[in-house]
Amino acid sequence: MDILSSLAQGFAVAVTPTNLAFAVFGCFLGTIIGALPGIGPVNGVAILIPLAFALRLDPTTVLILMSCIYYGCTYGGRISSIMLNIPGDASSIMATLDGHPMAKAGKASEALAISAVASFIGSTVATIGLTLFAPMLASVAIYFGPSDYFALYVLAFAMIGGVGGASPWKMLLAGFLGLMLATVGLDPGTGLARYTLGSFNLYDGFDPIVAIVGLFAISEVLVYLETAHHATGTLVPMGRAVPKFREMLPGMGAAFRGSFIGFLSGILPGAGASQGAFMAYVAERRYSNKDDTFGKGDPRGLAAPEAGDNAAAGGALIPMLTLGIPGSGTTAVMLALLISLNIQPGPLLFERQPDMVWGLIASLYIANVVLLVMNIPLVGIFTRMLSMPQWILMPFIIMVSFLGVYSISHSTFDLMVMIGFGVVGYIFRKLDISLIPLVLGLLLGADMENNLRRALSISNGDFWILVQSPIAATIYAITAAVLGTAFILAFRTARRRRASALAELED
Amino acid sequence: MADRILGLLILVLTIFYGWTAGSYEASFGDPLGPAAFPQMLAVPAALLSLFLVLRPDPDPAWATGLPAIRQIATVGVLIAYAFLLEDLGFVVATALGASAMGRLLGAGWQKSVISGVAMAVGLFVVFDTLLGLPLPLYPRFMS
Repeated sequence: MDILSSLAQGFAVAVTPTNLAFAVFGCFLGTIIGALPGIGPVNGVAILIPLAFALRLDPTTVLILMSCIYYGCTYGGRISSIMLNIPGDASSIMATLDGHPMAKAGKASEALAISAVASFIGSTVATIGLTLFAPMLASVAIYFGPSDYFALYVLAFAMIGGVGGASPWKMLLAGFLGLMLATVGLDPGTGLARYTLGSFNLYDGFDPIVAIVGLFAISEVLVYLETAHHATGTLVPMGRAVPKFREMLPGMGAAFRGSFIGFLSGILPGAGASQGAFMAYVAERRYSNKDDTFGKGDPRGLAAPEAGDNAAAGGALIPMLTLGIPGSGTTAVMLALLISLNIQPGPLLFERQPDMVWGLIASLYIANVVLLVMNIPLVGIFTRMLSMPQWILMPFIIMVSFLGVYSISHSTFDLMVMIGFGVVGYIFRKLDISLIPLVLGLLLGADMENNLRRALSISNGDFWILVQSPIAATIYAITAAVLGTAFILAFRTARRRRASALAELED
Repeated sequence: MADRILGLLILVLTIFYGWTAGSYEASFGDPLGPAAFPQMLAVPAALLSLFLVLRPDPDPAWATGLPAIRQIATVGVLIAYAFLLEDLGFVVATALGASAMGRLLGAGWQKSVISGVAMAVGLFVVFDTLLGLPLPLYPRFMS
């Protein structure tokens, strides 16, 4: 009952006219950002953070605005998947498999409606989960000491290396590079300048927001320039404006199943929304592909990954808010936002700033309803946005990125840092090195080092303190297990690949 | 090959990073000091980059010809834009930058210039005038 009264208090914060207006605005903007191919949620939120500061809004309002944009993006991503067969963001790749065939069969409006409802179900399941589990986790996390937090950060990086990608080595390397970048600047413990190469510009270190905008937005343009000539989709005609309800019914059960799978994968750091959508689709195909209709426009094959995607996006907020450890790219950006608002996420957030946390959670419920209402009748407007030519869209994204970064510090140096990160981001993406661990390292590095040094101050330099607490020891055991399985799996696939390559040579 | 080159670069960087860390000393503060954490990072990072050198993945298909020239030109435009933003003022610099980028993305001169100018004026009005984010309006030599 404690939760209900807190939630009621949250709704009181969320329904003030300003907050409500920004929530609706955020939903609208988020859907557009999600729908446009080329700017995913990570880009969209990162570009808008500095601009939200420029508006000099109340921190709670900024947080509500950004979370509504975040939720909006997860709704919008599916629109171009269905209409153009080009995913609006990475997590809606699975929505192309059955969504686009449906649209081609003249059921575009049904496909859009099913995915909107599935998104709503997924997000609502995740928001309810967030309401129930986040305070629970926060109340446990209060007992965490510095050495436990250090262990938790180690686990987060291990999970990202283990769960996230094809090559755990590259993931881990990216994580270490991020951590190394985080040590640039004045050392908080002693005030010593580290790795600044004598430049005053680097005394504050790399601003994570500048780095994120560069890594994602600038590199996106470079990637686009390369692929531009062979990736032009044609817009499927909309057909009937009002969807037939009967066509949508079979998708509902799939949406609920997808939601639970997505939610679980969202909580795990490193898995994130794309993984959630993928797992939901695979599970649903195994469960209900009896007549071999999947991949040919089965509504269940659209509803499951859409629900999974949205549920994972909501679930990923739990570790971010309660432990301060983001599990995905977008929540990493949200963490950067919190840090720049001078809010330290973690268990104490729920005690010290209940208005903000519960206001945020309440506004997520509101955002869901707004997005559902907005997405069914207004989907035509969002669809029309898709035909905006890239030569307008790309320069616009770049200009807004520059504006945003320039507004943080009014310095040419930061703009150069952004461009530099853009080029690095492009090269890393080409070489299949994930940018997410890099960003996480940059964001969490300072805190990880502080906790390590605090723990060793307590023990007067004795390293045993790191494994002495039962919490830390348990976390390290999990870390070892995760890393062990990841590397064994990677070795096996590598060996199998080599074996099949050898077999091909012999043929 | 690309993996090997990058791995080598990172290896050199981590060796420099770990070696520089040794020079950070503080006679006060916590027992660990400012050098230990960077040194703890440098060792596994160096090992991982060494792994990249020894066991690289197959090379990706890099852009060649016109797309590659466009990529390099775009980076050039971005750098020029960053340097000229304060000297030329927001509107002029953005109009030039956005037009050049539109052209690089394959639009004709006319379309690029029109959209570039419209974007520059529009963004200035929205952010400076309506939202109160101060931007340099005039070229520096005029003010």
